[in-house]
Amino acid sequence: MLWDLIDIIRDNWLLLLIGQYPNGPLGGFAATLILSTLSIALAFPISILIAFARLSKNPLLLWPSTILVYVARGVPLLMLILWVYFMVPLLIGANVPGFVTMLVTLVIYEGAFLSEVVRGGIVALGRGQMETARALGHSYFGAMLYVILPQALYNVMPSILSQFVSAIKETTLGYVINVPELTFAANQISNQLLTKPFQVFFILAIIYFLVCWTLTRLALTLERRIARKRAGMPGIPLSLNPQSQTAEL
Amino acid sequence: MTQETPTERAAPMIKFSNVNKNYGEYRALVDINAEVARGEVVVVCGPSGSGKSTLIRTVNRLEEIHSGTITFDGRSVHGKMSGSELNHLRSRVGFVFQSFNLFPHLSALENVTLSPVKVNGMKQELAREKAMMLLDRVGLSSKAKAYPAQLSGGQQQRVAIARALAMEPPAMLFDEPTSALDPEMVGEVLAVMRNLAAEGMTMMCVTHEMGFAREVADRVWFMDAGQILETAEPSTFFSAPQHARAQRFLSDLRH
Amino acid sequence: MQDFDLTAILLNPEFRGMLVGGLWMTFVVAIGSWCLAMSLAILLLVVRLLPGRVTEWVVSAYVAYHRNVPTLVQLMLWYFGISSLLPDDLQIFLTDNNGEAVFAIIALGLCQAAYFSEDLRSGLRAVATGQMEAARALGHGFVGTMRYVLMPQAVRNALPALINHSVSLFKNSSLAMAIGVAELTHAVKEVENQSFQTFETYLIATIAYLVCSLAIMAAGAALNRRVSISGAR
Repeated sequence: MLWDLIDIIRDNWLLLLIGQYPNGPLGGFAATLILSTLSIALAFPISILIAFARLSKNPLLLWPSTILVYVARGVPLLMLILWVYFMVPLLIGANVPGFVTMLVTLVIYEGAFLSEVVRGGIVALGRGQMETARALGHSYFGAMLYVILPQALYNVMPSILSQFVSAIKETTLGYVINVPELTFAANQISNQLLTKPFQVFFILAIIYFLVCWTLTRLALTLERRIARKRAGMPGIPLSLNPQSQTAEL
Repeated sequence: MTQETPTERAAPMIKFSNVNKNYGEYRALVDINAEVARGEVVVVCGPSGSGKSTLIRTVNRLEEIHSGTITFDGRSVHGKMSGSELNHLRSRVGFVFQSFNLFPHLSALENVTLSPVKVNGMKQELAREKAMMLLDRVGLSSKAKAYPAQLSGGQQQRVAIARALAMEPPAMLFDEPTSALDPEMVGEVLAVMRNLAAEGMTMMCVTHEMGFAREVADRVWFMDAGQILETAEPSTFFSAPQHARAQRFLSDLRH
Repeated sequence: MQDFDLTAILLNPEFRGMLVGGLWMTFVVAIGSWCLAMSLAILLLVVRLLPGRVTEWVVSAYVAYHRNVPTLVQLMLWYFGISSLLPDDLQIFLTDNNGEAVFAIIALGLCQAAYFSEDLRSGLRAVATGQMEAARALGHGFVGTMRYVLMPQAVRNALPALINHSVSLFKNSSLAMAIGVAELTHAVKEVENQSFQTFETYLIATIAYLVCSLAIMAAGAALNRRVSISGAR
């Protein structure tokens, strides 16, 4: 069995790593990484805006953002992918590659979940910081920009990293719409080899495990360091919060 | 309660013989030799870190000892024993904690009835009756259905005392029972303890409440650095302490 | 795009049947895997409490694997990988008898068990340390302490997380479509293919999912209010 694993990796490592590039679009692990990194990077600023909307008293901001978050929490990611796959070509009048569909879906999905993380970080700081900043004469947005956000975002960095790990796991759903990411590549290999599905999928599982596990450990170390630096101050996550509303896929 | 023979009645309730406890190099308890007689009320006082809490917690084996023996009602506490023997022993030692430790998911009444029913096998109905009597005794029969979160600190501690009494222990141990209370609630708890003492309960209390010690204690043990440095009747102890450190402790208290 | 017409789907018995059948299958998979996950989570918690470092390591490894490998990959490993290792007779039997659903329930159940057990573990850790001492001081044994004092509080502490993860479990049932289980998302694609009423079909399914998820969240919140320990630290 061990020889099988080594052989499969040796024969197919390029496919797993970058898909069929240059004979096709960039795929494999590279695609997974780009997809997850890009989606978090784009979702992050959007999530801050959604968090503000959720914290605002204005119903025009509060309602749509709350609905968005509840829809993201209540509807399976797969269903959202189908929606985006259907709507985006309609909205921009041209066909869109699966990669872009996946990216848009993830940005929306991650944006909603990250907004809950950011909102939690802001709320955990408590009112004292905002009151002090306003008492010194800052406007609401000034206070947010110079006092609240720098602290809140720093404090929730481990949760953001945790959300990045979730994004990596979510990219696997691209398989269903033929996005050539890592899981898709593995399926291709398994279909070629026909008789070794267990070995192929085992390798796939191990790759994801190593990547995600390492990042999760990193997040834990980061959290410990932040806790030490900010000992005694409000707003510190006590543990990589299993009660957080991150998606698990 | 079975009739005690004169010999049994004379035997001490709690007896410490050459008890030592170490944390590595640090000596938490040093050559403790002392007795609490039946019906006696002993107050253990001393500066922080003197080993008072450690001492009282060895009686129901919440702390282990390294040498010496401790007996409770004639039975050795720290010998080799099975888990169920230890549980049985503990069920006979009433213990009241500084932080009350009421079970927050149970009402006051349920807190008091749980252990007689599940540990002693008492019937639920009988347990309820006795629990209501005990809650009445500590002045909280109106709060039987309340949950700990709805009770003040003083009320919680009184329920905790009722909970310990429900097991019908021959002696009660108090580990700084009022230290975690706001000042205005200390009195109500001390009143319950005073009544218990007047009814003849054997009590060992670690406390900073010197007024209580003066009025209620039969003897005061002064501890420092793991040793019992002085034992005396309260009137003697508070007016003319013998040991230099006891003198300093009392004069510090007065400031 | 055709005019918006929900009735074309809702009134058509064939389409309605497929969607209802899909929803039913979603429930079967979700409830089946939930029961498996919860039982296994309690077992994992008990195993973890046993003395010895091996048990601790085994449970940690189990949790780490299931939380770091994507759920879809776990499903594939079970359905494509492990099934191929089974004896041929069993494989044939499973193919004829809804084997996909069985593998889906197993994979999803095992995966969520890891999350549930961590929730319970956190819930247990959040119980104040004095509670165990108080119970022991009253004479309760280990089992009694767990049963009457620690676990009731641990479950109450863990309830919000357990509810969140239960909603995740429900949503994850849609992944089963990737291995051919005819649950709701699978049915949606079928109906869409046949009716060409993409928007309406998607809308109906989305509303169905939303209603169910929100119902789970609401029921969970109600349960939480009823049993939570007010003012617990």
